[in-house]
Order: sequence, then structure tokens, then C-alpha cells
Amino acid sequence: MFSGKPMKPTFKCYLPPVQTDVKKTIEPPIKKLEPKLLPGEIVVNEVNFVRKCISAESSQDDLWGKLICTNFKVSFIPQDAPPKQKSQLSHLLLGAHDIPLTCLEQVVTVNDTKGKKKVLGSNQKLKFNPTELILYCKDLRIIRFCFDEAGPESAKKVCLAIAHYSHPADLHLLFGFEYQGRRYHESKEGRVNGSTPRGGLQTPIFDRSSDWDREIKRTGASEWRVCSINENYDISPSLPEQIVVPVSLADQDLKLYSSFFTGNRIPLWCWNHPGGSALVRMASISDPLQQKKIEQRVFTAITKSHPQRSDVFRSDLDKCLPNIQDIQSAFVKVRQICVIDPFEESEERWLSSIENTRWLEHVRAFLKHSAEIVYHLDGKNASVILQEEEDRDLNCVVSSLVQLMLDPHYRSLIGFQSLVQKEWVKAGHRFLDRCNHLKKNYKEESPLFILFLDCVWQMMNQYPAAFEFTETYLTVLSDSMWIPLFSTFLFNSPKQRAQHLMDFAKNKAIPPGEDQVVYFPPVWDWSQQFSTKDQTLFNNPMYIGKGAACVQNGEVKTFKRTKQKNYSSTLRGTSASMRNGVKGADETLPRRGSLVSELKPDFSPVKDESPSERFFRDWFSRPADQQGLLIPLLIPSHVALWRLFFLRWVPEACIPKGGPVTAYHKLSQLVDEIDILQSQLRQYKGPSPGSMPLPSPGGPLSDQRRMYFKASSPNDPPTPPDFLTSSFPFTPMGNLCRRSIHGTPISKFLNGARIWLSTETLANDTV
Amino acid sequence: MEKSGSIDSLGSKRSSSRQPSVDSLSSTSTSRSDRSAQAKPPSAMSSDSVSTSAEFSPELRVSSLHVMVLRDSDKEEPQLIPNETVQDMAQDVTYFCPFTGALRGTVMITNYRLFFKSMDREPAFVLDLPLGVVSRVEKIGSASSRGDVSYGLVCKDMRNLRFSHKQMEDTLRKSIFEVLIKFAFPVSNGLQIFAFEYGQVFPENGWKVYDAVSEYKRQGIPNESWRITKINDHYEMCDTYPSTLAVPVNIPDEELKRVAAFRAKGRIPVLSWIHPESQATVTRCSQPMVGVNGKRSKEDEKYLQSIMDVNAQSHKLFIFDARPSVNAAANKMKGGGYESEDAYQNAELVFLDIHNIHVMRESLRKLKDVVYPNIEDSHWLSNLESTHWLEHIKLILAGALRIADKVESGKTSVVVHCSDGWDRTAQLTSLAMLMLDGYYRTIRGFEVLLEKEWLSFGHRFQLRIGHGDKNHTDADRSPVFIQFIDCVWQLTRQFPAAFEFNEYFLVTILDHLYSCLFGTFLCNSEQQRLKEEIPKRTVSLWSYINSQLEEFTNPLYVNYSNHVLFPVVSLRHLELWVGYYIRWNPRMRPQEPVHQRYKELLAKRAELQKRVDELQREVTNRSASSSSERAGSPTRSITPVQTFV
Repeated sequence: MFSGKPMKPTFKCYLPPVQTDVKKTIEPPIKKLEPKLLPGEIVVNEVNFVRKCISAESSQDDLWGKLICTNFKVSFIPQDAPPKQKSQLSHLLLGAHDIPLTCLEQVVTVNDTKGKKKVLGSNQKLKFNPTELILYCKDLRIIRFCFDEAGPESAKKVCLAIAHYSHPADLHLLFGFEYQGRRYHESKEGRVNGSTPRGGLQTPIFDRSSDWDREIKRTGASEWRVCSINENYDISPSLPEQIVVPVSLADQDLKLYSSFFTGNRIPLWCWNHPGGSALVRMASISDPLQQKKIEQRVFTAITKSHPQRSDVFRSDLDKCLPNIQDIQSAFVKVRQICVIDPFEESEERWLSSIENTRWLEHVRAFLKHSAEIVYHLDGKNASVILQEEEDRDLNCVVSSLVQLMLDPHYRSLIGFQSLVQKEWVKAGHRFLDRCNHLKKNYKEESPLFILFLDCVWQMMNQYPAAFEFTETYLTVLSDSMWIPLFSTFLFNSPKQRAQHLMDFAKNKAIPPGEDQVVYFPPVWDWSQQFSTKDQTLFNNPMYIGKGAACVQNGEVKTFKRTKQKNYSSTLRGTSASMRNGVKGADETLPRRGSLVSELKPDFSPVKDESPSERFFRDWFSRPADQQGLLIPLLIPSHVALWRLFFLRWVPEACIPKGGPVTAYHKLSQLVDEIDILQSQLRQYKGPSPGSMPLPSPGGPLSDQRRMYFKASSPNDPPTPPDFLTSSFPFTPMGNLCRRSIHGTPISKFLNGARIWLSTETLANDTV
Repeated sequence: MEKSGSIDSLGSKRSSSRQPSVDSLSSTSTSRSDRSAQAKPPSAMSSDSVSTSAEFSPELRVSSLHVMVLRDSDKEEPQLIPNETVQDMAQDVTYFCPFTGALRGTVMITNYRLFFKSMDREPAFVLDLPLGVVSRVEKIGSASSRGDVSYGLVCKDMRNLRFSHKQMEDTLRKSIFEVLIKFAFPVSNGLQIFAFEYGQVFPENGWKVYDAVSEYKRQGIPNESWRITKINDHYEMCDTYPSTLAVPVNIPDEELKRVAAFRAKGRIPVLSWIHPESQATVTRCSQPMVGVNGKRSKEDEKYLQSIMDVNAQSHKLFIFDARPSVNAAANKMKGGGYESEDAYQNAELVFLDIHNIHVMRESLRKLKDVVYPNIEDSHWLSNLESTHWLEHIKLILAGALRIADKVESGKTSVVVHCSDGWDRTAQLTSLAMLMLDGYYRTIRGFEVLLEKEWLSFGHRFQLRIGHGDKNHTDADRSPVFIQFIDCVWQLTRQFPAAFEFNEYFLVTILDHLYSCLFGTFLCNSEQQRLKEEIPKRTVSLWSYINSQLEEFTNPLYVNYSNHVLFPVVSLRHLELWVGYYIRWNPRMRPQEPVHQRYKELLAKRAELQKRVDELQREVTNRSASSSSERAGSPTRSITPVQTFV
């Protein structure tokens, strides 16, 4: 049963460091180390003989090389490139040791001998020669360089350059503006004139009325229209140029009303339920005298657009959800205990520490509130207005979550991307300020988008077959926020985007009429960052898409958009009991005595169930339809820490040859086999049955395969591949170097838990 | 040393003589765990696998479909299992469901279960509870002005149930709950545990799953260093040990007896597992009887030395004492203690800080308070932390990990003990073996592991669970085994493809730990089971499980050879097993079943494969009939896609 090579000790990270004399073993590098530069990228400063720390406990794995600061990134070029780890996500624009300047959270220099430490900002002086540079990154990495063999002056210069260039004075200094201009012209040759529209991008980005029209049609929102009063951002800089409004409101009225709303943001239609209820978001009205009147008009118009003319439910998010500072402070705390505090230290009271950050509480609050809104839209078939002071933060989270729960379209990859475009980018979420790309105003920084991604992950964790994409996709998307090359996360408002891109086009001599998607692409063009093969990591093998109803029972309904009566079919519809085809009791039962109210008064239920509780209980008692309404479980025990996101860099938390990826691996292989079979079938059913071509054995071409892991072959290793760790496709190697307490005894970690012990139990132990 | 020992022991085949017997079974109850207990979220149980309430009960699955339908149908009675008889019935009983309020219905008590059904709701609400899960029944003050009497049932499986009904007018007539008490605690009432009556016949015989000699043989024992001894054939040396033991070749039986005199309850160090390559071993025992005066035993010292010596790879022996060092020291007052490093020169003693059965019981009690019936909206994690349950789980797993690492990476032999060596020691050796040896991660292998490390080595199931015994305050009760299963579940979470069994398998084991439907977990030791003729008189849980493996199989399982599991023993990865502890909460839906989805995909693949094969055949036929020019036959050109399930 056992054979082959013995296992390597796998938790050397717990063991005391092996004492090796690093200096002796290191030959000064001779090889010339060249950075890989992007078009328009220039080297600002560099220093040789730098040591990049790989593990906190020992320096034996450390890498030697050159540290470079460019106008885009911090780059480290190792002297002896370690063999690239197999099957790991590799970025097309960034090397394994590169960090974009926009990804830097804090640049810290240390002089160990003098016991000094300084956090560097822009244009600063440094009075000591740093022996160490620690980079705290926004994607939660912590990277450490030592200068023990480097020239002190050059080391200092590089540190100062990094600090300086990571604090750009102005938005247009972000490297994307340089890079995309060059890229546009350089790749022009390769592009066929008038090639695929939008550069082949399939995601609607809602910059033209046709995208909105399609959405109106798709959701059956016949009582709503696209209105163009905000063309050229005449009304509001933070609203899109096209706005969907009730048909009963005239442009004139809307113009009139707009001045009363904060930021001139007239109410914005988001989505329509097949039953007719609509989801609308709006800013608040500052003038209390006008407030009632205007709201009345708006509400009446929304009511008129409802087939049953039902009342509008308003939800004021400022009153019931954490604000952006709460969210920022929770994130700072959760980051602190996940990646900054020493592992063993935070282990001791891990659960209560996580609780004290309140991050999960906030995640849950947003999910819960969104589920309540779902109840109104679906259970009560009432239109809902989400209201927030500015309508640019909390509303983005809630409106997108509500749509994810209600509409399976948004759980497909393209659908999800269009949702982010619609409810975040075009709705004027201040990405520039919230990401704090310019590191100017820390008060405005808040990870709302990450909070949203976490909420999506919670749903994905509970309903793993409901989403077309994976948690790797969500994580990579969050990382992309810190790469300043895509138009998606760089701006505060649609108007700001339009202006900057216009200026950009002018400055870079881009022909007028060229599509901005082509000359400054959004993040959704994933081929900018990843190979086709790596992009398959985004595909969820378990996804039950449209029409891909499950085979066994064939019972999975597709999400039908039919006109409904007052009550949505989800309330009383399908019987719960169709599990495994066994008929449940409810179907054969006579309806006698079925009302709780028939009980004698003293036996009445312990507590009365509210209609919304009833709605949720009903829903939970039935099997979930992956292509229908999805409500997250909201018991605190079911809201979990998103481990891949928060712990992927933590070496101690990395499960060797384990983690969810081992299931993903197996599932992907199976789905790949299915794909091969399907393509064989298609070949058999080729157009001319008379001369049936011989099917090719390999199935689809390998670059067309949807799955990252291919069908297994007899050559597969008999042991689980090493790259399958709980951090996959990321690696903690060298990405999280906390300054640590050397030689933490193993016992401290393993016996870390302190458990109260009474003398009584002690005595009992001898029994 | 005498070689005789090792060889003859083989000759004596005792395998067939393992007989059943229940000796002191005092207990009672049975629970069949069902997930069907609440009709409403019937599948509330485990996540993967299955779903209908029907599959719950063992009998049902075997007998056929119509039974399943009956279970759910509107009959007033449940489908009784073989030899189950109705003892009493009552109308107009109210069940106070903590989740959805009071329900009125009828109660039926059999010698196996409580069955409550209410038509107040739609669908009808059913509570189907094996009496074995009942830990205590309390009459709650009859003070009610309307003359109602209430009864509270505290259950071993993390729930409490409350009922009430009208005061009997006929005072001679006993309340149905008085009847329940009788059958819930058969041992206390001079009755027989239901397992002895249960008459279901299964195609598989679970009592054949484990045979000590073949298991040692699988490990390559006997070999030049280890022999099988018959010294305990009649349980004379140690009445809580199995009859078949593996010991170092160079220690003759006579010396074993002297070692036994120095080890608590005579539980000498014996082999649990041997590494197939390095020959490093895991051995288990009880504490040495050192006492306050620091007594020593030459034989014991020599014995441990020879355990070390037979492993050529290492010149060290690690002794893992599962206890916190203070507790170990406190044991000296009662004659016990731990190995001093003076006496055991090449040994290194490590304390693993795992607490005793009383601490664990208290921890689980607190956990129940936190999760049942409802979880408070705020402070969930700190409340969970205050129960220390996960911390205990962590310490146990950390201990097992250190053992596994020493053996695997350090190629060093280890000795594991606690005080008596039947609670914490069993947890540690069996978990370490699960990490080290993929065999134990198969369904049968896991059954063997339980039979060996837990049942044959005398984990006192009867005392720890208190089957059929009304004495619910008994200090010997403790959730040691539940903790172990919880640890296994944690491993399955970290290595979702490394185990052949699924979560439902683990839940089923725990459900039948209490149900008293099967004989598997009755009695305290192999000797007692033999005396009570358990295998002859009861059905094994493995008969039920092995007769329908499909239900319990993890479709994602990959049988990698040589895969040693090194879990990350950190609270960052340990989580509360919601599928077990919170399953009664109707707001909890099993995690959307990844396994179910995988099975669907398997079915799809099979269907496609079939269609491809058919087309292939068609093409082959056609091309054969039309022309034979074509070189390769299409059949060849299609690579059969690898199928493995």
C-alpha cells in the first residue's frame, strides 16, 4: 500500500528554523538581470544583491536578485529563477514576484541595527539606510526584501522611488493611460480593420441604449422606458447617460425632479421581476419641503408601472446597514488577524477575534437585508425602492445581491459581469475613491466591492451548482482592482470616465469614433491578463446552466418568465416532496385541520411567524432550484470566512494536497470527459450522414476545452499532485512574510489552546 | 527469546469464536437517528447523499419501496420494523416544536420508538424518534390550571423535546410518557435492549468485517520483529483488551505478564499500526503505575526499549501522553503517572494536553446550549468559542498529527497512552492511523478501524453512552466517540477526495451509536460482547451499511496510494459540524450537495457514453457493409473515456 519515495516533512513551517549560514552559501550574482517591461514601462530605479524572504522561519529558501521600481510595478528578478510551479495561475502582465504600484497599501522601511522603522509616503526623506523593505499589499500579500548585501544608497533610492511612485499625484499618471495608448497603437497592426465589434467583448457594458433595451425586454419590464435626459451627463455626472424610468414620467418632469435629489440622481431602474414588481434605486431628497411631493410623484409612477398597481416598498439602507467606515474598519481588522498578526498569536482566540472584526456580521447584514428585499419583490410582488443618501455605495451592494438571488442570468459569467457594469460601474460607484488609488483621502477608502464579492462567495459556498464561475474568478476579480490597466476600477463616475477617456484618446492620437472598449478595455476582457487555459479556472464544473437541467430526474425547471398572478409561484408552487422521486405526504393528505389557528389559544405557536419568516421557511422546506430563486442561509453558523480570499497567502493555513480544489479537480475531469463525449456525438451527427467523418479521438481542441483539469488518463500520478493545495491556484510561497518570532516552539502552536481546568476535573482524571 | 510465541499464536484461530454477548448492557435506547424526525425538513441531515426521509431507517431501505412510501404517507402509524410492537397510543398530545410552535397530534410508543404525528400542518408533521436517543424524561410540573401534564425529553443527539397532554381522568391509567420511560430505559427496568429483538436480515454480515488476525496480516504482522500472542486468549492478562495482541518478538509471554502488572488495568503496550516501509510503529497502552514513590519496572523499561529497537530507522522512542501534564502528575496520587525520562533512557515524553471525559462532556453540554434550539443572532462565534468544543477537537487532531508526523516523517516509533488507554488513546491512535494509512479511509477499512481501535480495545461504549440506562447523571458518560467522529469529519472537509465514505456515513454511525438497533456499540469490551453473544443475538451496524454502500459512498473519492494526510490543525480550518449538531434546525438546509451533483454528472456521462457507443456500432456496421476501404475502424479511433467511480 505504501511505495515510492517517502513524504517530505510537510509542516516544516512549524519547526524551528534550520540554522544555515546564508552568507557563506551565496555567490554574488553575475548574470545580468533584466526586467520584463510592458509597452510604455520604464525603469525608475534598481538595486542588486537583494534578498527576497520566502519563509519567515528560515532564510534558506530566500531568493537573491535584483529589485526594480518602474512606473508600473515593483519587480524582483531572482538570480536563479526557481522552477515555475506547475499549474499555477500565471499572469500575462505580471511576473510571480511583481507587484503593481497601485497594489501597495504601505511601504515600510526598517533598519534593524538601529531599531528604526518608517512608513514611507510620497516625496519623503529617509534618514537611515534601510536594511529591510516590507511591502503591505492591497491583495493581502506581505512581501519582504532584505538589503544585507545590497548597496545601502541604491537600496534607499529604490525604497524612496517605490514610495513615491505608488502615490501618484493625479489620476492620469496611473500607468494604464500610458500602457493602453501604446498597446492600442502597437497592436493595431495585428487587428483587422473593423474586426469583431467591441474587440470581441461579450459583456454588455451599458454605455448605449441597446444594452438597456435588451435588459428591459429580457425582464419583461414593458412599463419602463430608456430615457436620454442625461446624455452628455447634462443632469448628473454620476448617472449613466441612459436611464430607465417609468413610462408615465415625462422627460420634463424628470429634469425638474432631478435637482432635488442628492447629486441630481433621479431614481434608477435596476430590474423587473417576472411578476411585474420592479427594483429601483435612488438618492435621497435634500429639501424636506419638496421631499414628500416628489417622492409621491415618483412612487405613483412606479406603482403605475406595476401590472397590479401594487404599492411601493421603500427601504432606507442608511438606516439599517453598516456605513462605509464600518465596513472599512472591519476589513482592516480582519486583515490584521488573517495576515498581519503572527499565526500562533491569532490562533488562540481565533473565533472571537473574527467576530470582533464584525466583517462576517456585515456580510450577513447585507445578505439578510437583500433577502428581505427579495421577499417584497417575489413573495409580495411589490416594487421596491432602495434609498441611500447618495445611491452610490450600499445601494450597489444590495441591488446587485437582490438580482443575483432572483435572476439566474446574473449567475452566469457574462450576466455577472453585466451586473457589475450596471449596478456599480455605470451607477457611479466611486471606485477611484473607495480603492484609494491615489492614496489621497483615506477617509473615503472602503472595500465595498470586496464585501460584495464576499457576499457572492457566501451564496456560492451554499449553492455550489448555481454559479457559472468559481471562487477563483471572484478572487482574481478582486485582485484586478489593484492593477491600474483597466477602465473598470479607475473612475468615480461615468462622466469622469468619459472625460478621461476622451482626453486620453485625443492625447494618444486615437482616431475619433474608435470604441473605448477597444482602446481602453474594461477588466472583462480577461485575455489581457490570462491565457485561455488559465481562464478556464473561472469555469465551475458543477454549474447547472440554462437548459442543462439535471439528468436524473429531469425535474429541474428552468427559470420561466411568465406573467404571474398576485402570488408568485414560489409561494405555493412545486411540492417540496419531489426528492428522489418519492411522493411526499403533503400530496396525498386531506386538508383537514391544516390551520394553526384552529389550535386552542393556550397552544398557539410559541411565537407568531411573520409573513416574511413564513416565506423563507416555505422556501427552505423545498429543494432549491439552481435556476430559480436562491435565498442564502442566514443562520450565523452558515456565514463563513472566505478562506481562499483571506488565507491564500498564509503558509501555515495552506493544506497540502487538500482543500476544496481536490473536489474541483475531480469534478473538472468528469465534466471534461462529458464534453469530449458530447463533441464526439456532434461529430457523428455531422451534416452529411452519408459520409460520416471519423471522429477525432481527442475531442475538442485543447484550447477549446472548458475545464482546467483534463479527463484523467492512465498516466496520471498515483499520488495527488503537489500543486493541489487549499491555496490553489495561488501560492503562499514568498507572498506572506510576517516578521516573526524566530523559533516559535512547536509546542506553542500545537498546544496553543488554553483550556480552563478546575481542580475537580483534575481529580476526576484519575478515575 | 522464544520464537514459539509468534508462530503459535497464529495457529489458534479464534476468529470464529468471537461471539456476541451483551453483558452488562444496561441500557436502552435506540435511536434511529433519523433525519426524518421532523417531517418537514426531512433531509436536514447530512449534506451529501441522500435525501428522502425514508432512507433513514435502516430497515426501510432494505425492505422495499412500498415501505418508503408508507413512511411518508398519511397512515396513522409508522411502518414497524421486525419485532417492533406497539406499547401504547395517545390522542390529543401537544408537541411544542421549538421552531414552529405547538402542534397537536397522536403519539405512539413501541418498544423501539416514539412516533408523533400531527395533521395541524401541511404537510403533516412527523416526529419519529428511536427511544435509544432519550437520555432523560422529566415530568414538568402539572401545575397547569387546565390540568395538563408536560413531559420533557432530553435527547443524546442534541435536541430536547417537549410534550403535553391532558391529565388522565382515570388515575389508574398511566401517562403514555410513563410507558415511554419504561421502554426508553430497558436496562433500568429489567427489559432487554431492542437490538436483541430486532430481526432484520441483511445480505451482508457485518460481524465478519473485522478479524484481528487478518488485519495484522494486512499490516505484515507477524514479521521478524512482531508476533501475535495468545496470552490474552481468555482475557486473563487484561479483561478490557482483545484476545489477539501483537507484541515485539523478543518479549516472551511471561514477561508480558510482568509488564501488565506495571500498566494500569494490565493494558500493556501493543501494536496498533506499523509503517510498511520504515517499520516505525504506533503502539498503545495505559499509564505506568509509577505512583508517588516513582516506582519502576525493569520489564516495562525493557519492553519499551525493544519497541524502539525493532525499528532500525530511529534511535529514539516518542511517548505521547494524551493528558495535560498536570493531570498526568495528579495521577501519581492514585498510583498512576507517566514514564520518567531517567527510567526510559531513549524515550522522549510529550504531553498532548487533551482533557478528560468530564471536561468533554461539559463542553458538549455547553455546545448544545449554544446551538439548540436556535442560534442567537449575535455573538455566535464567541459563544461557540466559549464552549471550547473546537479547541478540544483541535487538540485531539494536533496530537494525532504529531503522532502521524513522527511516524511518517521522523520514521520514529511512538507509544500512546492516557490514563486507562481507552478514551483519548483510542482517539489518537485511530486518527493517526487514518492520516497514515489510506486503507482506513475506505468504508470497510474504517469499519475495521472502529472494530479494532475502539471496540476490541475496550472503549467503554456502554458506560460512555449509557444505553438503556436511566441514570443520566452518570459521571462515566462522555462524548469521546462523538468527538472522534467529529475529528474524522474535519479531515473529510480538508481532504474531500481522500475518503471513500460521505458525511451521511458518519452521521449514520452516530445515530446508531444511540439507537440500540444494532449490537455494534453495545457492551464495554470484547470479553463482554463474547459473553453476551452479541454477534449471535444482534445485527451489526455494518450489515446495514454494507448492504447499501451506494448510500454511504463519496463519489469524489480518489484512491491515491501513499497519500498521507497532514491536515492543518488550526481554528482557521476547523469548523462546527453543522450537518450534525444543527441538523434539527429547519432553517438549516444541507449544503447544496456537491456529491449529488457529481452523481448527476456521472449519470450524464454514462448516458453519453452509451449514445456514442451506439453510434459507433452503427458506423462500424455501415462502413463494413458499404466499403472496406477505410483504414482504421471508427471503433478504434475513439478513445474510451476513462470511467471510474
